[in-house]
Amino acid sequence: MNIESRRMEEIKDRVLQVLTDGNLDYRQKKHLLAYIAESTQAYPEISKEATAALNEKIICDLFEGNAPYRPRYVLPDYAYALKNGVNYLELEPPTNFDEAINFLSILYVQVPSITGYSVYLGNIDTLLLGYVDDLSEEEIYKKLKLFWQFIDRTLPDAFVHINIGPEDNIIARVILRIERELKQVVPNLTLKYDPEITSDELLLEASKTVFEVAKPHIANHKMTASDFKGEYGVVSCYNSLPVGGGSHTLIRLNLKKITDLHSGDADSFISGTLKKYCEMTLDVIEARTKYLVETVKYYDNDFLAKEGIISLDNFSAMFGFYGLAECVNQFMKRCGNELCYGKDEEANQLAHLILEEMKKIVDARELPYCKASNGKAFFHAQSGIDIDIEETAGARIPIGSEPDIYSHINAVAPHHHLFNGGISDIFHFDETVKRNRTAIVDIIKGAFRKGMRMFTFNLSNGEFIRITGYLVRRSDLLEFREEGSRYGSALFAANSMDNANVDNRVSKRVISNEQVAGKY
Amino acid sequence: MSKLQANISGIIKSSVIDGPGNRMVIFFQECNLNCMYCHNSHTIGLCNLCGTCVHTCPSNSLKIDSKNKRIIHNENSCTRCDECLKVCPENSSPFYKQMSVEDIISEILEGKDFISGITVSGGEVMLHAPFLSLLFQEIRSNSELKHLSILIDSNGNIDQEKWNSLLPYIDGVMLDIKAYSANTHKKITGYSNEKILKSIHYLDNKSKLKELRFVLVPDYNNHEMEIREIAKLMKSVSPSVQKSLIKMRKHGIRKEFAHLIEPREEEIEYAKNIFSQAKLDILVI
Ligand code: SF4
Ligand code: SF4
Repeated sequence: MNIESRRMEEIKDRVLQVLTDGNLDYRQKKHLLAYIAESTQAYPEISKEATAALNEKIICDLFEGNAPYRPRYVLPDYAYALKNGVNYLELEPPTNFDEAINFLSILYVQVPSITGYSVYLGNIDTLLLGYVDDLSEEEIYKKLKLFWQFIDRTLPDAFVHINIGPEDNIIARVILRIERELKQVVPNLTLKYDPEITSDELLLEASKTVFEVAKPHIANHKMTASDFKGEYGVVSCYNSLPVGGGSHTLIRLNLKKITDLHSGDADSFISGTLKKYCEMTLDVIEARTKYLVETVKYYDNDFLAKEGIISLDNFSAMFGFYGLAECVNQFMKRCGNELCYGKDEEANQLAHLILEEMKKIVDARELPYCKASNGKAFFHAQSGIDIDIEETAGARIPIGSEPDIYSHINAVAPHHHLFNGGISDIFHFDETVKRNRTAIVDIIKGAFRKGMRMFTFNLSNGEFIRITGYLVRRSDLLEFREEGSRYGSALFAANSMDNANVDNRVSKRVISNEQVAGKY
Repeated sequence: MSKLQANISGIIKSSVIDGPGNRMVIFFQECNLNCMYCHNSHTIGLCNLCGTCVHTCPSNSLKIDSKNKRIIHNENSCTRCDECLKVCPENSSPFYKQMSVEDIISEILEGKDFISGITVSGGEVMLHAPFLSLLFQEIRSNSELKHLSILIDSNGNIDQEKWNSLLPYIDGVMLDIKAYSANTHKKITGYSNEKILKSIHYLDNKSKLKELRFVLVPDYNNHEMEIREIAKLMKSVSPSVQKSLIKMRKHGIRKEFAHLIEPREEEIEYAKNIFSQAKLDILVI
């Protein structure tokens, strides 16, 4: 058999495997078939070295596919769409609450993403407040409850993310109430918090909700907003990106693997290996971005762009990394001490140094079509996926070796300011804290005072488990292992739970179709 | 700052069960009651350097420092087996430390961004009233700390005038009442309860009583009359005072009190009923 026909055979096998996998539903199969079809295209042009690094998963494109035909993260400007209507969908601007919800429901389904499900559903309270009129709280509650059910059943992927805040308002409160009641995985939820704007009561409502469903995450609004020219949204797993734009791609660098490749000390690593691979990662980002913009001409053709709901000028790309902990601990070992990232100041200092150097490298590189962040990539601590067996997510402290909460915050807060593309650390709480919600409020406020960007919870014995960047319902995991699940993310989670010590930490989060693709 | 020192048996940097919000809790050594169900009986007495624990420690982690009249504890070799605590004839411990007001202030400064306030607990903290007075003044005059709430967790067995110097600085006191009848009280704690009853009314009058707790111990304070009297007492203080009914738990109690039994669900219900007949809103913990 020649190479071409062998390749064809291989593709047929992959297709058959998907078609006959009883754990996948129809839509999941269709998504994976498209992924296989895409994989028959040549990868955007990159160096041989970069190709090798991709193949060896030193650089990881998170299964975005060989031939990017839609941006990884799209954050439609829903406010603009509501105001102007959408011609392509024959939607007039809504005039009341019901119409607004219906409008958004239709639009959500049309937003492209890597997973097939929109990663951003808007700052929903500000979007809907203008349509409340004289509706009572009970009426709003009934309508939003149906809306929430629609979102969970139609967009069953834990990377689907919605935002509320920072102002306290009736919609934000009703949503928290509905979250506690419905206990759905989707949508993932972030509360933008600013101590000068957000009321303590809303933060208390949020912490009450956290105990039930392990969300919302709390974002440091002031800090994040200052990184953006216009509005921002928190999407997918804790990525902060510009509204009306987003990110073409997210490519991440495996710091553990490049540490293993490097034979010298930390200094020579920073000036040599780290720099080389950061540049290579940026090359991949650039090639994929150009392919999407110039070859596919996505931004010329998609209705969202044509109608001004997104604009190329509001896009950029994301540079991510993971495995910082393993990298730092390895260098500590090499210089003869067993100091640990998270526990020992010297190790923490090295971590900060590496991150600062990476940030400098990223900021020094001009990238095309990245106007949203002044021609530079957004810097992102990537929160990990299911195939990460030996590497800790982003800049996190490894599961099981986290110090007490204040030391944890003190160790990680100093580098949070670097990540304009988002970062998350997970903090563990036990059941006793349920009796005293104000305690959580104190800790959140303290964490933000120390410079944290995002606060994410993990509760022991909760119904939801946070995996690396998303939520999963404990029962869904079990069910998936037995008979498949409606949520693409449950599959990812099942893999994550098998591969990492995530069970130890007892939290949850669902992941998504995007990583699942890599298996077929 | 003053040279005054206090024996501190421990500091918990983050507690969610010692008052509202996230709190730092400072535990003082030494108590003037001896409750049968004390879960931390090693905080009752003071060490007299008898050396029993030093000889018992299986990892040789303890040494007497006779010059400074204290026990040196090697934290690295200690296996936390707690044998030393079990054998101590004084209900004491080789672990508590002398700390100055300054030492404690620097601990609070470290955690200040994360807490609503501090709670001082024990042992019986009111045995250290002069030290507390200095500590609280220091907190109230420190621009970075003065917003913190200050709570006292006390058994109330203290002369009324001891409270006076502290009340201006504190937000409230959480107090236990172990029994209403002096006899029963003596059985449970070894002492009578007159001072405690006085403290309750005094603090309530000054609007500084935050919480009043009753620990239910079967065969000791669970007869109808006893509970009715406690209900009456709780009713007599201001409605804003939080009232709690706590189930006695056997966790960590001394061998000689192993005969105590935890209240059964029906017994809790029975007590709860009496409280609700008295129209009391009581939290069961
Ligand atoms: S707890 Fe430590 S000091 Fe005490 S007896 Fe055990 S090993 Fe020795
Ligand atoms: S702690 Fe107890 S056993 Fe040890 S020396 Fe002091 S009094 Fe004796």
